[in-house]
Amino acid sequence: MKLRYIYMGIMLFTVSLLNSCKHDDWFDRDSKNLITDEQLWNDPKLLTSLVANYYDRLPTMHGVFNTGGMTELDDAMWSGHRDQNWRNDFQFGDDYGRYWDYGFIRDLNLSLENIEKLSTQLTDVQRKQYIAEIRFIRAFVYFELVKRMGGVPIVTTQLIYDFSGDPTPLQVARSKEHEVYDFIYKELEEIKEDLVVNNNSKTRANKYAALALESRAMLYAASIAKYNNLMASPITTAGGEVGIPANMATAYYSKSLAASKEIMDGPYVLYNENADKGANFYDMLNKKTGKEVIFAKDFATSLKVHRFAYDNIVRSLTEDNESSSTVSPSLSFVESFDYLDGSKGTLHNKNADGSYIAYQHIDDIFANKDARLFGTVVYPGTSFRGKSVSIQAGVAIWNNNNYRFHVAPQLGQQLKEELGKEYAGGLWTGFDGPLYDAQDVSNTGFYIRKFVSDAPAASTRGTSAANWWPWFRLGEIYLNATEAAFELGQLGDAQMYVNKVRERAGFPANSVVKLTMDIIRNERRVELAFEDHRFYDLKRWRMAHLVWGGSENDANAVVYGLYAYRIARPGHVDNGKFIFERVRPARFRRARFFRMANYYASISQDVINKNPKIVRNPFH
Amino acid sequence: MNMKFFSLIVVCASLQLIGCEYDNYEAPKSTLSGRVVYEGKTVAVRNNGPQLELWQDGYALRSAIPVYFNQDGTFAVSLFDGEYKLVRKGDSPWLQQATDTILVEVKGNTIIDVPVTPYFTVTNESFKKNNNSITANFTVNKIVSTANLEYVRLYLGKSILTDQVQQELRIDANLSTLTLGQPTTIVGELPDNLKNLDYVFVRVGVKSTLSGEYYYTQVQKIALK
Repeated sequence: MKLRYIYMGIMLFTVSLLNSCKHDDWFDRDSKNLITDEQLWNDPKLLTSLVANYYDRLPTMHGVFNTGGMTELDDAMWSGHRDQNWRNDFQFGDDYGRYWDYGFIRDLNLSLENIEKLSTQLTDVQRKQYIAEIRFIRAFVYFELVKRMGGVPIVTTQLIYDFSGDPTPLQVARSKEHEVYDFIYKELEEIKEDLVVNNNSKTRANKYAALALESRAMLYAASIAKYNNLMASPITTAGGEVGIPANMATAYYSKSLAASKEIMDGPYVLYNENADKGANFYDMLNKKTGKEVIFAKDFATSLKVHRFAYDNIVRSLTEDNESSSTVSPSLSFVESFDYLDGSKGTLHNKNADGSYIAYQHIDDIFANKDARLFGTVVYPGTSFRGKSVSIQAGVAIWNNNNYRFHVAPQLGQQLKEELGKEYAGGLWTGFDGPLYDAQDVSNTGFYIRKFVSDAPAASTRGTSAANWWPWFRLGEIYLNATEAAFELGQLGDAQMYVNKVRERAGFPANSVVKLTMDIIRNERRVELAFEDHRFYDLKRWRMAHLVWGGSENDANAVVYGLYAYRIARPGHVDNGKFIFERVRPARFRRARFFRMANYYASISQDVINKNPKIVRNPFH
Repeated sequence: MNMKFFSLIVVCASLQLIGCEYDNYEAPKSTLSGRVVYEGKTVAVRNNGPQLELWQDGYALRSAIPVYFNQDGTFAVSLFDGEYKLVRKGDSPWLQQATDTILVEVKGNTIIDVPVTPYFTVTNESFKKNNNSITANFTVNKIVSTANLEYVRLYLGKSILTDQVQQELRIDANLSTLTLGQPTTIVGELPDNLKNLDYVFVRVGVKSTLSGEYYYTQVQKIALK
């Protein structure tokens, strides 16, 4: 009986508690795991992190520390783990370089529409800034698409299905190749002033990043217009999805030059902070100081890192227990660096009669080279992170009127009496090889320095590297301006621009007196090496099928190495000096072979099945 | 309990057996084989080079079946019986005829000759060894009037796979003295690495400016000893 009253009491008490609740406070709370549209599109912090995601997804082919991609052209081969030796033994497939990321385009279009519609609480400047940034990213993505695929469908709104059973309104046909370039130009022109608020940032798109993209894209369009039509049979489609009319070249070159000039008049200067020109070139990309880099993808220790240093550190300087030495620069690349006196960069390892030239020091053969060689490549006799590298293939012993080469069974081994008492003493094979047929040690005799961070523990997997990736930098803009001015017949200006870049590399003032297209092409190869330019440069000049001709006897298409040997020849004047041998590493299996079909990658059959309006690229 | 568990396993196992019927397709048993021909003569190609494409209508999704060549210009594909469309693609030593497809009815083992129109052909080729050189005599003919000659080359190789990509020696003909339709000669001096072999493989290739691929003669083996 009593119990019943107690129960009723508790019930009444509980009910009264419920009554006293304020509905609004208790039930209408913000979700802790959902972000509503109103919140997202009105909160600058959330919007910034959304745009950060888009920045992170900016597409690249061989760039952003893509170790593997860098070893697929003629500048380097793969010397890392054998499981990726296919990179030394492959042909560019029909789909090589295929890119078709309309998922990303949709994300960007969705954001643009939602900011227009839902961002009511942002200031006008903020709104314009976010819109401009997203449109910059969209233009960047379209540039990547047109570079690789030719004219693509230009989609600038969300495509939403109406469940009518008819998908044709969603099927957008390909635009002409030049229309995509025109779209990119128009977009960038419209947004560049809205990006001025970012001018102090190097990692968000600012006005100059937009101009830099203009400068590059217009140069590509111009050279496709010019050089495609100089081919014996230009690569085109009937509807203009591929191929740009030749008469558009001049206008594109002018647009590129105008954009470049505006950047060069801006706040940027060529990095020149280290008196040592070679180290300066390395610092330019490794340090985040200076005013060279216009727009970069940043990394930070313990927050966002990459493993380029782990992949590519010089073998003897490894801090981790696996991997090193993956990108091995090729001899043809090393030889593309001119001598400072202006002569061609061919390395002189033999006399005209075929006898070896003996050098006093192991690095003498590289003496008086373009300082960018030091900044890009670790070659015998140099150092990295303050430590000397040990690159020496073996010893050369005089035998039967010729040198015979002997390689040690162990890396870093000292020569004792294995080859005879009289030859004992000194280093046999260096700790850093090179070895003809081994993994995780250079196969060409060279290591990459550019982009390999020298920070402490950068080559460990635990810490990893945090140097940044330059999307655009002033050095490229100078070379864009050089090329555009040269093509427009403004020789004086073109020469002035290229000479500025070369002066920074250690050349005397006015080192180029008679500019040619070959000089410009070579200059781009050495200045912009491993920065995701070469593949596209050779494509737009329509030279890729010539340079990467696929012949096994072709010094361009095959990656060669240069091996240094110490002469062990007691009593002879050359004893202890060094000679150099050109070799084709055993792991390099197949010459680079670029076919006509590779100028534009094939479009996936899946895409064509979904959208029958898509025209195939030539040869596919 | 134990019995239940056992019967459950039996049921599951038998279900899996039933599933097999539906999951697995039988491998195609028919073969389509043939060669590419021009005027009755097989057109030889580069190893791992040009391809043809087969398509089949009647399905919601389409995807090409690539047809790879032997370097002598023959091919063979395993297919299901049915009707296919054969496409002659671009970047080949012959004219692209992408829209002019060939209907192929595959039933059992089918053999077809695929007619192509090469830009140039090489006829009447003969190879001779003189001391330390190889002399090639042949005639280059223009077939497609808009095509221009880019290269005429003699290839020497150690292996039967000899072409523009894989060869030991490549000698260019002098195009300024070459007359189309008239006999031409290229003489190739044997280099040291070929001189002492028992035999070499030889081939002539001709490239038009309209394509990246060469028209080749059939590989011939020339005894050196």
